[in-house]
Amino acid sequence: MATFKLDGKPIPFEPGDTIIRAAHRQGIEIPHYCWHPGLSAPANCRMCLVEIQPKPGQRPLSLDVLQLDPATGEYKTVQKPKLQPACYTAAAEGMEILSDTSAHVTKARHDVQEFLLLNHPVDCPICDQAGECKLQDYWLEHQKTPKRMHDEPVHKPKGVVFGPTIVYDAERCVMCTRCIRFMAEVAKDPVLDMRERGNLNEITVSPGRQLDGHYTFMTEHVCPVGALTTKDFRFKARVWFLRTAASVCQGCATGCNAHLDYDPRYNRAYRYRPRDNEKVNKYWMCDEGMLTYKEAHEARVLDARVRGAATTTSKALDEVRAVFSGVAPESIAVVLSARYSLEDNWALRELGAVLLGSHNVFWTGRPDGYADDILIHKDKNSNTKGVLELAPSARPLQALVDDVRAGRITHVVALGASASVAADGLAAAKLVTIAAHEGPLTASATVVLPATSWAEHSGTYVNAKGMRQIADKALEPQGASAPAWRQVAEVARALGYEPSWTKLKQVRAQLLGTSPEAPASSPSAVGTASAE
Amino acid sequence: MEPLDIELEEGELELPAEPMHLNMGPSHPAMHGTVRIVLELSGETIVKADVQIGYLHRGFEKMCERGTWAQVFPYVDRLNYVSPMLNNVGYALAVEKLCGLAVPERCQWYRMALGELARISDHLTCDGAMAMELGAFTPFLWFIKAREMIWDILEEETGARLTHSFGRIGGMAKPPTPAFKDLCRAALPKILQLVEEGERMLLKNRIFIDRLENVGAISGKDAIALGWTGPSLRATGVAYDVRKAHPYLKYDEVDFDVPVGTRGDTLDRFLVRLGELRQSKRIIEQVLDRMPDEGPVNCDDPRVVLPDKDDVYTTIEGTIRHFKLIMEGAKVPRGEVYSYTEGGNGELGYYLVSDGTGTPYRVRIRPPCFQITGGLHKLLEGRMLSDIVPTFGSLNMIGGECDH
Amino acid sequence: MSEAVLEKLKARFGSAVLETHSDFGDDTAVVDASVWKDVARFLREDPSLDFDMPVDLCGVDYPSRTPRMEVVLHLYSVSKRHRVRLKTRVGDEEMDGAEVDSLVAIWPGLDWLEREVYDMSGVRFRGHPDLRRILMYPEFEGHPLQKTYPAERTQPLVPYRTEDEAGVPIQKQPPFGPDEGMPFGRRALPHDGTSAGEAAWSKPGEEN
Repeated sequence: MATFKLDGKPIPFEPGDTIIRAAHRQGIEIPHYCWHPGLSAPANCRMCLVEIQPKPGQRPLSLDVLQLDPATGEYKTVQKPKLQPACYTAAAEGMEILSDTSAHVTKARHDVQEFLLLNHPVDCPICDQAGECKLQDYWLEHQKTPKRMHDEPVHKPKGVVFGPTIVYDAERCVMCTRCIRFMAEVAKDPVLDMRERGNLNEITVSPGRQLDGHYTFMTEHVCPVGALTTKDFRFKARVWFLRTAASVCQGCATGCNAHLDYDPRYNRAYRYRPRDNEKVNKYWMCDEGMLTYKEAHEARVLDARVRGAATTTSKALDEVRAVFSGVAPESIAVVLSARYSLEDNWALRELGAVLLGSHNVFWTGRPDGYADDILIHKDKNSNTKGVLELAPSARPLQALVDDVRAGRITHVVALGASASVAADGLAAAKLVTIAAHEGPLTASATVVLPATSWAEHSGTYVNAKGMRQIADKALEPQGASAPAWRQVAEVARALGYEPSWTKLKQVRAQLLGTSPEAPASSPSAVGTASAE
Repeated sequence: MEPLDIELEEGELELPAEPMHLNMGPSHPAMHGTVRIVLELSGETIVKADVQIGYLHRGFEKMCERGTWAQVFPYVDRLNYVSPMLNNVGYALAVEKLCGLAVPERCQWYRMALGELARISDHLTCDGAMAMELGAFTPFLWFIKAREMIWDILEEETGARLTHSFGRIGGMAKPPTPAFKDLCRAALPKILQLVEEGERMLLKNRIFIDRLENVGAISGKDAIALGWTGPSLRATGVAYDVRKAHPYLKYDEVDFDVPVGTRGDTLDRFLVRLGELRQSKRIIEQVLDRMPDEGPVNCDDPRVVLPDKDDVYTTIEGTIRHFKLIMEGAKVPRGEVYSYTEGGNGELGYYLVSDGTGTPYRVRIRPPCFQITGGLHKLLEGRMLSDIVPTFGSLNMIGGECDH
Repeated sequence: MSEAVLEKLKARFGSAVLETHSDFGDDTAVVDASVWKDVARFLREDPSLDFDMPVDLCGVDYPSRTPRMEVVLHLYSVSKRHRVRLKTRVGDEEMDGAEVDSLVAIWPGLDWLEREVYDMSGVRFRGHPDLRRILMYPEFEGHPLQKTYPAERTQPLVPYRTEDEAGVPIQKQPPFGPDEGMPFGRRALPHDGTSAGEAAWSKPGEEN
């Protein structure tokens, strides 16, 4: 592997890597504002300047600078090495680069940081970026000196509405152009550009347009300072009160990796941030996905219900026992949900196939929607592939509606409330729904048991590419909700069966074992794609 | 020794009578800062004493792990709450040892002066309370009057009489007021005069001397093995004072003596404190002569010291510096350190473990009176019930420090 | 601080001394828990070391490591004026096997300190004459200074102890019966038979 030396430490690099990218792969940070691993490198912030030692025998690249000689009070010319931007310089074998160990680099970083803060408004108390702001972090690491300028800073427009989602503050902007490059290179919609020159620079939206589309939240995500803020998150929460959980977006089958930020004091989710995953979503998420964090709190089913009236879970389970007693297995159907985790669906399949002995397995989810070729998948369910791997012979919901109408199925245990087709036809059957959200299947249910949403329990989801990804638990279960696999176990007990699982560990262990649907000769494991 | 909360068989006792259990409960006028002594008595003689502490345990060490390094100062104030400046200074020195910071000279003199004032107030409280518990109420009030003079000075300097939270990592919260030196110079002779009046009342009083002399004696060797430090140890004849043995701040540049006792009994502990009080006065006078009247009190490292408020409100750099220090805390380098100073009761140590962030990983407070109170049962066994009060009083157990 | 102490320890105990350092001027040695008492006795009895004062004993929890609990002993020699920090590590992630020998026989002052380490960190000391909680009450559940003890945890309420448990007789009478104590705020004596007297007697909980 070709290597170069950074502060004496050998760093391997791949062909075409810049210095900063090779260091980034090794977890070494060279300070930067305008560089982003997912975008092109414009080298305009000058924060990543490093000193590249000349090869032996080569004349060093240097500049003449004037330095004040304190003894004589005269200015004299000295040479200082010309520093190169690490984000733009390609790495080469045998390069010797000084970053933290060079006094020139330390001074350069100090000076660049000072310039960036020269006209910066004193907005920290009201700026959303406080606590995760590169200007703050780099001031403490690299500048540490107070302000030297005594003039009025340049004033620019603040609170400029760019579009339906984003607000721009020109005074806070450091003109790194990440937002411009993102919209041009990743979102393929070059709607942002820079106007004016010098210290009057501002980001502007193309005339006649707004900053709209499906990826506007990412401009806020790439902005290293508080210049771009989302209307959704502005002024809602301070980031040092928020804890993070590694989660998976439930908006579509792409399964973008995300960080779910929540406040444990109030048990509320406040936002999503994309989590880097080279194989799934790289560094990005779409707007619709970014807003799906709200589903942890909206339209939730938090109490058990019997025929629409709220009640306790134990009374609801009594009702289940009453309704299902003496029913033949052939008339019971089980409906899996492509919006629930593998663990939940496995538990319901076990209940249906193994415990109840019924072979009427159906599945449903949300209907298809908008798709593009950047990130958004037309399948708006996060676990379709997982459900179909668990139960390959599961039939779509329309078949169940037909069966119910024909009288072949009279009792249904369903997971989730979404229906891919109109579900009024199910009103004729006795429906037990275990769901986290309101929907067609809870509206017409006889008994509803509250389930936790994806944010409140750890679950595995299989995306369209067949990759298994785990979304960690973030919030505590709200109301009377419990993970759906546990509610299914309660239903099983209410019906007189002893389920083979009580803990998540047991569910996961059995999930990787044999599936009763698969013939004995075929391999057992459900989905063999890489587990995330 | 086993607890006394158990049934004792009759045959286990020396005397054919049943043992008398007496509970000097935590709520008792002479139990400084809530301590419970469960006594097993044979007549008036103490056979066993089980000293139970913990009634003032507030979980400081756990709470320190949930804030920043600077947020520990209010907690350490409330340890030995009759000499809080000494605790503040001790903790500030411990964190500065981990950070490798040196404070300016003016700050070092200032810390010494405030610390010695706190020490005088501690000894006045202890000796005054001892006298009061033996019935001599008047000298107690005189000593409290002297203590009020010190607290007036501290209130002028820090804003609070008792729990100042005045120390900071890298300096002090504010520089000395212009009137500081004059106030001290005016107050010290008056304090000494009150102390002398009290001594005249007490030290020739037959009853007072009889209640204290040869009561609760301990040898130097035993005291060291028990981990005793401070005036209680020096009363036994061992001249260990952290300020002399391992000087810190500018204690090696001032002249003072270390009073020691001979018998290690309650009277010696009483007298050693009075002697130390005079030595503290000597130190303060020298410090006031040598402390510069101008110059910074805080070192100017932006990684630990807060900026001026003007800068915070008007410049972005000041705002950022304030923000980082308050929200994330000063990032103290990784490592562990044990730093010790002479507190009011002896060697006050801080064992700090840092994981490199702004939140302490572990703050262990080594309270001097924890060890001292641990030896109390040895002093009491074989003595009489009425000896408990002066003996316990002479140890100066401060509940806040012992139980942290 | 001289490094001679650490050198002597390493020379005497060899591989049982797992790590040493002198960061910030504090000589520190980490020893294996099996030689804890031997090392302590050596430090106490060797005439060139003469560590006669036990300064401090505490526990520090590092739950990401195994063994997780570090027991830290600070020693001082009054005659030689040197210090040493002696550490050992015990306990797995569930704090099983967190036991070490008691050093009370060597330094009586460690009596209460070992009780405090047991109380706060959950380390048991073999051979301690009376290992019970010292700062917390006997019915306390858990060991607060372990990192896995959440600071927000609440404890179950403890019922009044019986006389046996408390060891001393408990009189549960309301304070100040009708004929005891100062009749604060009473305008008429309640036992004079008048209704004014009855009314004047302030019941518990009422203001005077």
